[in-house]
Amino acid sequence: MYTKKITPAKVFTYIVLCLWAATTVYPFLWVVLNSFRQKGLILTDSFSLPLGAAFTWDNYKVAMERSDFGNAYLNAILISGTVTVFVVIFAGLAAYGLCRYRFRGRGFLKSMVTAGMMFPVFSTIIPVFRMQVVMGIAGTGNRFLSLLATILPQIAGNLCFAIIILMGFIQSVPIELEESAYLDGCNVFQIFFRIIVPTAKSSFATVSIFAFLWSYNDLFTQSFFLRYPNERGITGLLNEISSQAGVNYGLMAASVVLVVIPVLIVYVCLQKHIIKGLTAGAVKG
Amino acid sequence: MKKIIALLLALTLCLGLAACAAGTAPTEPQDPGNTNPTATEPAAQSVTLSVVTSYGGDDGNRKNFEAAVAAYEASTGNKVNDGSATSNEEWKAKVLTDFEVGSEPDVLFFFINADAEPIISANKVVSIEEIREVYPDYASNMKESMLPVAADGKHYAVPSSGFWENMFVNKTVLEACGVAIPGPDYTWDQFLADCQTIKDNGYTPIACSLFEVPHYWFEFTLLNNGSLANHLELPTLDEDGNLVDDAVSQKWIAALEDIKSLYEAGFFPENTLTATDAETVSMFGEGEAAFLIDGSWKCGYFSENHADNLEDYTICCVPGKGDRPATDAIGGISMGYFISRKAWEDPAKQAAAVEFVKQLTSDEVMSTFVTTEVTALKNGAAPADLNAIQQAAADCNANVTGVVGAVQDTISAEAKGDLFGNVQKVVTGQMTAAEAVASAMKLN
Amino acid sequence: MSSMIYKKKSPLLFFLVPAFLFLVVYLYYPFLQNIINTFLDIGGLGRAAEGVNDPWYANYRNLFQDPDLGTAIKNTVLLTIFTVVFQVGIALILALLVDSIRVGGKVFRTVYFFPIVISATALGLMFNLMFLYKGGMVNQLLLNMGVLESEVMGNGRQIVQWLDWKDENHFLFTMFLPVIWQYVGFYFVIIITGLNNIPGDLLEAAALDGASGLKKVRYITLPMLRNVLCTCLVLAITGALKVFDLPWVMFGAGMPQNQGWLTGTYMYDQTFNKMNVDYGSTIAVLIVVLGVVLSNVANRLFKPTEDY
Repeated sequence: MYTKKITPAKVFTYIVLCLWAATTVYPFLWVVLNSFRQKGLILTDSFSLPLGAAFTWDNYKVAMERSDFGNAYLNAILISGTVTVFVVIFAGLAAYGLCRYRFRGRGFLKSMVTAGMMFPVFSTIIPVFRMQVVMGIAGTGNRFLSLLATILPQIAGNLCFAIIILMGFIQSVPIELEESAYLDGCNVFQIFFRIIVPTAKSSFATVSIFAFLWSYNDLFTQSFFLRYPNERGITGLLNEISSQAGVNYGLMAASVVLVVIPVLIVYVCLQKHIIKGLTAGAVKG
Repeated sequence: MKKIIALLLALTLCLGLAACAAGTAPTEPQDPGNTNPTATEPAAQSVTLSVVTSYGGDDGNRKNFEAAVAAYEASTGNKVNDGSATSNEEWKAKVLTDFEVGSEPDVLFFFINADAEPIISANKVVSIEEIREVYPDYASNMKESMLPVAADGKHYAVPSSGFWENMFVNKTVLEACGVAIPGPDYTWDQFLADCQTIKDNGYTPIACSLFEVPHYWFEFTLLNNGSLANHLELPTLDEDGNLVDDAVSQKWIAALEDIKSLYEAGFFPENTLTATDAETVSMFGEGEAAFLIDGSWKCGYFSENHADNLEDYTICCVPGKGDRPATDAIGGISMGYFISRKAWEDPAKQAAAVEFVKQLTSDEVMSTFVTTEVTALKNGAAPADLNAIQQAAADCNANVTGVVGAVQDTISAEAKGDLFGNVQKVVTGQMTAAEAVASAMKLN
Repeated sequence: MSSMIYKKKSPLLFFLVPAFLFLVVYLYYPFLQNIINTFLDIGGLGRAAEGVNDPWYANYRNLFQDPDLGTAIKNTVLLTIFTVVFQVGIALILALLVDSIRVGGKVFRTVYFFPIVISATALGLMFNLMFLYKGGMVNQLLLNMGVLESEVMGNGRQIVQWLDWKDENHFLFTMFLPVIWQYVGFYFVIIITGLNNIPGDLLEAAALDGASGLKKVRYITLPMLRNVLCTCLVLAITGALKVFDLPWVMFGAGMPQNQGWLTGTYMYDQTFNKMNVDYGSTIAVLIVVLGVVLSNVANRLFKPTEDY
């Protein structure tokens, strides 16, 4: 299939890919570089290397000085980890049900899922807030209840997207696999866990990444339910520090770097599962 | 699937533990608030107060506030759960929602104008009169006349430090253009002539984003077309919803027209309709523009961001037009401390909350918050160690002959948003000034 | 055959109930509240309604009379078209290219993801500095290339006719470019996942039959990707209708001169800045209706292969 010859087509492919890579890497580099730049220099000179007098650790020091840094990472990971796990499980089940079963109201449910993806969070947050206060989980000042109060709406907020994506993937799974499993005596639950999940493994990994990412970066929901210092996630904490936009860009850049690190770790870990070849094995087996 | 979940959980744990280990070591000593409320209940007489203020984020007084809270905790043995954030419309909405659904804090530091009316009319906060029946010396260090009055005629908030608005001037730009630094008798015509000179020299006369913050100029052009006495009067609408053509509506229209003429003369930055406030303020800070109308909080901004050349700036009166002396200024007190009814009726918290407000508004603590702003203190605040720009502000304030509150604080948020959003349409001629005023008043 | 496996409907409850329970409680019920709010007069978030609107459908009537909302819809529809064509298009090409190479695929997969990870605030700040009026990166570049005119005044000050990237003539470009660029990586990841789900033996069989690279793409890969591409289409449409953070950071409230609204930014501005909560809720309803209609149209046009 592949040849070791260097063909013009291959060279062209690499040039295109590298060009796009340049546009995506550069901004990240830019943020990292400016997080080390001396205060005030970003506006005059943001595109050079911060060397010599322009270099500083101050932005990280200021960010770190804010007391409960470790606690904030812990909160953020607790929230986003839980959200991701539940979104993947619930969405996987629902997507499978919607894909494979034919029943009355199926079209309606599918439209509802599509519609649900479009509800702007700005319009649902206030009723959700009221409801959760009545339920006794929001506004109590108890750390774990507050974390729960953030997790629940975030699960709901990510479900629609996850269901739509997984439906797209599950539909592409050849139904012959399920049929042969059925002939081997599997029931639907076994088919789901033994055939669908392994076959669409990389799809589940993809959904996990986005659920984690969005939960983690969703400052808006967090800011409604996590008010007190010991409850805040890292995104909220750093936003708090760099909140007065337009004042201290260097601190902001440092905040971004500190926020981005965990997400990149998660991505690199899960990326293993988006690798070609795993699925081929499943089909043969 | 199992592997993915296992991986996620493992990752969650690892990162969490790593973060804990990394986070606790360097921070423990200077962190009084890092206690887990569920872990240990404090001793019987010690209570935990929840407090919400706008002293979060990068607020210039955050450190002073935290020091005052720490002092309170040390002197009373009580704990403070500090939910402070940065003030903006979203924050206001959150605070009001908290009160409406019953998850309000014990002590609130909030706006004392129309913004606080919903919680006052819903009887969610306690009036100073009611508190004084039990604690007669509550807020006794404040001037009675300066306690903010609510719509029902009672007093609720203990006022904190106030604000002033005036004109910041970049002296280096004026020097380069051969323009004298404005004095207390600065007139509008002189100002227009100076702006032209500055423009001819290749600088921008006025640093202002008409897109984001036209309200600073609006307050003063309105004051220029009226007086201190009638500054807070609002235009009215007749039964058909048309603007009543009287002196008040005429001065509002004239105020917008004045901004338009400045725009047409090209005295604002060329991109004033697409620039942000941060952009134009930094133009001023870096010596590209000469004049900037802004508030007392900008002293803190310049002290922090232009510490090395504070001598370049000074603060002057906004040029006066007609009968208004240039020395009349905008200012007042916009925020104060409220005690929620929930805390007041909780026997365990009542005394603690009262003591908290007392300490935070004592003469000593207020003096750490204030540099050049007004206070309601009977003895006045005694700020120390003013830097160059704060001194300039103090000198300018010494000349001030009269102060009036900002009219924008008296109209509804909807009307305010509409009016200032339409300024850009007025200056570009897409809308007349009269239409803009009528449209805003319909929403008030 | 499939009907045999899935004839018994009772397991369906197990599959659907957990997800839809969450959706009903945390999404549909609050949105129902939102719909009720559109008929009430609410003067601020966190405030109780001051009564029913007069007439009760006043907000819906306003939808048709509000010129700024018209602008917002126009811009958003434009953005949707650009999003579908460029975001999904570029992502598909990149995914096919990455899938065809042997060395370095993993690196590209990682770096293409970067823009989604960085918060919109930071990206907005960066693009603001790039397109800054005075001395931004792009303007500096244009000045050095001699595209911008400049003159030196008598006192030695250089006056440059900077290009305002956010004025009426350029704002669409300045607004759309970052939005489109940021989410290419998102669709890239989804499409590459779809490619990985294509059973390898299908392609091997095609190769044995002597199909060339392009032919494999045309006759095997693209048809197999149809469902995934259709998903991308729906995501792109709903995403464009909701897009908020990056334009908000860069353009704020309708810059320039109320021509730069998008449905997402307009809704937020009405709700949180103008405190016109009931009208903001009405725009939210409009966003949902538009989204359902547009994605249904897209679904009809590119009908996915569902039935076996």
